[in-house]
Amino acid sequence: MQLKDTRREIKTIDLLPLINVVFLLILFVLIAGRPSTNHPSGLEVARSEIEATHQGAALSVWLKQDDVFYLSDKQPVTLGELAHLVKEKGLAAQGLPLELIADRRAHAKQLLAFRRAMARAGVGEIRLKTEIIAAASN
Amino acid sequence: MQLARRQRRAGFMGLTPLIDMIFLLLLFFLLGSDFVTYGQSRLAPPRGTGGESSAAPPVVITLAATGALSWNGAPADEALLARETARLVAQNAEQMLVLMPAGEADIQQVTSVMDVLQGAGAQSITLERDVFDIDLADF
Repeated sequence: MQLKDTRREIKTIDLLPLINVVFLLILFVLIAGRPSTNHPSGLEVARSEIEATHQGAALSVWLKQDDVFYLSDKQPVTLGELAHLVKEKGLAAQGLPLELIADRRAHAKQLLAFRRAMARAGVGEIRLKTEIIAAASN
Repeated sequence: MQLARRQRRAGFMGLTPLIDMIFLLLLFFLLGSDFVTYGQSRLAPPRGTGGESSAAPPVVITLAATGALSWNGAPADEALLARETARLVAQNAEQMLVLMPAGEADIQQVTSVMDVLQGAGAQSITLERDVFDIDLADF
């Protein structure tokens, strides 16, 4: 008597659907995402419901949670030095705006001091960077 | 004479390197992308520094560290701020609004008040220090 061979036949898995899905994911990330910003670690900008398009500025200054201004991640700067830099670069003379990327937990006194110091240095417009959140529904 | 017919076998193309590369690309874009949308709030120059000037007297809004608001000295809430700002802006589009936050208020509180004012149509918002919050060390 011949018994039927019950060994399972190994079937190949069709990989094309997997590749398709992964390509779709890449497309999604490419379209929905944008290159990540180079904020210093731990800096959380203030949230806003106003959808104003973010435009770059000639000079970006960071204000971290410790109420200290920075020009780069590890380069603290005083308002006097900033005013000197603004004059040196001729930002005020060219009427170029300045961008302040401030941590939402920093204190308003630093924002006021920055506003006043930059106005004295001749800077007209200051742009405060915000993170747009969806407006809460009533 | 019969010659054996040699059939060409289709060569098997390994898909594993392709899949590896696609996953690496996916990882790269996932880690290198930012899904947050950024905006900005414009701060007008302080009064008396050569900024825009409006014929109408500016409105002074104070913000305490507790979040309490006032409109020209009278206690107010966000709804009143929005209503009064919309009324003034309808009369004069360049109405200057002076926001005086307490030094200990945080920037999120300031941004939230500016949101209310901008949402009501204000275009000229400036920041000034509250006269009762001046630090003598500045002098």
